[in-house]
Amino acid sequence: MTPAVNPMDLTGRRVLVTGASSGIGRAAARKLAGLGATVIASARDPVRLAATVESLAGSGHESVGFDLSAIDAIAPFVQKLASERGALAGIAHCAGIQIGKPVRVTDQAFMDQMFRINVESGLALARGFRQRGVAAPGASLVLLSSVSALVGQAGNVVYCASKGAVLAATRALAVELLRDSIRVNAVLPALVETEMSERFRATMTEAQWQAYLARYPMGIGQPEDVANAVAFLLSDASRWINGIGLVIDGGVLAG
Amino acid sequence: MDSQAFLRELELTLELPVDSLQGNEQLADIPEWDSLAVISFIALVDEKLGLAVDGEALANALTVGDLLALAQEPLAA
Repeated sequence: MTPAVNPMDLTGRRVLVTGASSGIGRAAARKLAGLGATVIASARDPVRLAATVESLAGSGHESVGFDLSAIDAIAPFVQKLASERGALAGIAHCAGIQIGKPVRVTDQAFMDQMFRINVESGLALARGFRQRGVAAPGASLVLLSSVSALVGQAGNVVYCASKGAVLAATRALAVELLRDSIRVNAVLPALVETEMSERFRATMTEAQWQAYLARYPMGIGQPEDVANAVAFLLSDASRWINGIGLVIDGGVLAG
Repeated sequence: MDSQAFLRELELTLELPVDSLQGNEQLADIPEWDSLAVISFIALVDEKLGLAVDGEALANALTVGDLLALAQEPLAA
């Protein structure tokens, strides 16, 4: 009898996870480690990041503090990781920010900040990933978009624009990095229970929150729901999937 | 940031003339105080003070002074 093979097995794969100190990034790091990957967890906050790494299954994981707002430092950072530790089989780019503002109070500084962290950092990671010797066979890049890329939200216009840009960049990168044998896909979650969403919830009354929840036929998501999709897109189980935006929303957009 | 500085920020947020707010105005009398202004106010407090505005308290706010009170602790008098 043939032994069962997990198609999402990541044993022996080295994977960089950004935004790994909280929320979806932390859940992704845990899921990937659980599937056998060696995780390099990256974030700005070294204390919470260390807690993430301590919670990972298996061994060989490490935390690397890095501020993704230094865009031109990202490609050298990725190159250094690969030259010191070995080629990367995957990057799960989970770092991002969300600040709700109507367009009437937005300015250049706000737009630049949102696009730098949510869009430019992913493009710079892609640039770093395709450098010689960085990507291992079967390489896959997963970017974090959002259903906000597909559905307009009043008071959230710059965030929506940034996540739409991530989705467009995913498609273009998938085509451009084909010659480098790197697949590029995006996940598009709806609201997921994280530190970020808790902050959003705190600004609502209970009645407003219940009205918001009514849009979610299966309730809001858990970080693990997104982490599972990230793991799938990093694994060989998705080896013929490239340039997609995978919606993970508990059926919100369906109805 | 003191209360006066916060009022000036609030005027910018609500697109009101400078020095038009004193603190005793009824929010219901300010046409600019709409649902998007509420989001703007939440972002203002988050950005300037690093605080998440409490949703219940915000829904109960009746005056500009009530809005100031929501951010009172870190504000100087």
